[in-house]
Amino acid sequence: MASKREIHINVPVLTRVEGEGALEFDVVQGVIQKLNLRIFEPPRLFEKFVEGYEYDQVIDMVARICGICPVAYQMSAVQAFERLFGVDPGPWVRDMRRVMYCGEWLQSHALHVHLLAAPDFFGFESAIAMAEKHPEVVRRGLKLQGLGSDLITLFGGRSVHPVGVRVGGFYKAPAQVAVADMVKQLEEALPQAEALVRWCAELDFPHDEQAFTSVALSEPNEYAIGSGRLVSGQGLDIDISHFESHFEEFQVPHSTALHTQLEGRPYLTGPLARLNLNFHQLPKPVRAVMEDCGIHFPSHNMFHSILARAIEIHLVTYEALQLLKAYQRPATPAVQFRPRAGTAFGCTEAPRGFLWHRYDVDDRGDIRRARIVPPTSQNQARIEQDLCASMESFGFDHDDDELRQRAEQVIRNYDPCISCATHFLKLKVSRR
Amino acid sequence: MIRVIGIGSSFGADQLGWLALEALEEAAVPDLELIRLDRPGSGLLRYFEGVGKILLIDAVEAGLEPGEIKLLDRDDLAQSSCLTSSHGFGVAEALALAETLETLPAELWVAGIGAGNDRSSVPDLNKQQLLDLLARLTKDVPC
Repeated sequence: MASKREIHINVPVLTRVEGEGALEFDVVQGVIQKLNLRIFEPPRLFEKFVEGYEYDQVIDMVARICGICPVAYQMSAVQAFERLFGVDPGPWVRDMRRVMYCGEWLQSHALHVHLLAAPDFFGFESAIAMAEKHPEVVRRGLKLQGLGSDLITLFGGRSVHPVGVRVGGFYKAPAQVAVADMVKQLEEALPQAEALVRWCAELDFPHDEQAFTSVALSEPNEYAIGSGRLVSGQGLDIDISHFESHFEEFQVPHSTALHTQLEGRPYLTGPLARLNLNFHQLPKPVRAVMEDCGIHFPSHNMFHSILARAIEIHLVTYEALQLLKAYQRPATPAVQFRPRAGTAFGCTEAPRGFLWHRYDVDDRGDIRRARIVPPTSQNQARIEQDLCASMESFGFDHDDDELRQRAEQVIRNYDPCISCATHFLKLKVSRR
Repeated sequence: MIRVIGIGSSFGADQLGWLALEALEEAAVPDLELIRLDRPGSGLLRYFEGVGKILLIDAVEAGLEPGEIKLLDRDDLAQSSCLTSSHGFGVAEALALAETLETLPAELWVAGIGAGNDRSSVPDLNKQQLLDLLARLTKDVPC
């Protein structure tokens, strides 16, 4: 006899919680018939807010979209305007923007690994519970997170919604003494980042291999962060301006956030996708630790996402250190340019995946139309696809709490900006 | 010396923690170190280092008149069930984590300011209550 379980997950609205969602699926004889990751968060209308504003104002406006990854929004926007205006800010600006971006990856990944994902692997309900048994691990995470915030502050004046980036460069170059202090902190942090990779390599990962398409930016000579072509594991290799010819954003009835597909199919963006496509470009010291730990990429086990983040923490700590060791304060932190009308495209790798921007700009440099495609929206279809496979693989002979916990862990692998909402899913099961 | 940390954002009544710092700066209250933080989450723990006495000031949604300021008990700070969320990690969670990691300062006070029902507007801060509170704390705490 067919059995049907309806699982409704409701998320209460909390102060300072960004995102509201629920997970609903119907199971008949152990097979999921319908699965919806419902996102209720109201539209934020940023694409309309920026219309009529000048390009440099937009860079600070889009930083307000996310408190965790404001640098990503700034970098995609500034890249778009510089490509359109034909601005080459030079190697110093390029390197220092990479350092600032390293800071954002460091703080975001350290937060996610230690406070969100790691407790799952030990069966703790929270980071606070984990801190009782593993205080040194949580302390290390907070230290790395703090260092990432300091790196952002070095160039942006503050870590939440920084304000240092402008078309042509930065508003201000950090003082040599401030950079020297940062170099010292990075040198102290590098062994901690390496230890984090070794620690993550020892985690007990569920076996859950799945077929999916990884998509990420790719550069010929470095692990792509702030620029590159969009590539996939299935042969896509396009300039970012061709995004709309291959990727489609569309509305689904159960979510206020748009879904995105590549050639009609879900895909993955984020740390695991980046590692899958670009692991061969990791610096030698980072690869040496991976080899020593027996870590191999590519991987099609989404539970390896925590490991991918740990490896990227090692990467950005190492890279920021190397780039800042060579720091020389320039005579001027920005180059001159003239705005021009046209369509601007920008794309960089936010901590959670690639972040694509398009702006139609008039001859005064004001925005006429904007389109922003964030990674969480891109991953939604893939999360639903993963949940179907993961939950069926996990099986439904578990109590409701176990089912909820596994579903949450699957969702957290993607570190969606609704990760808050998905952490405390309330489960209501009705059987008939 | 007391480190006074104002927590908030630029949005509506959430500014109250910052406005309290501005009031203290204006009044030139001695022996205070004033730190303004924008929704620090777990990053709050960094600011517990290197000092023995800390006053946290933040806007609260219920229990106080708009603009009223009052010291809160730790029990008043309800942790959300969103304990390990990056976005939902608030003051209560940060204090719980600091307690577990044994990094709380020797003396810690948490003051709430009533935000009122309309979060989009900023109620008038009762500055005299704030100054009286600091006078009490500095009196109780020889500097």
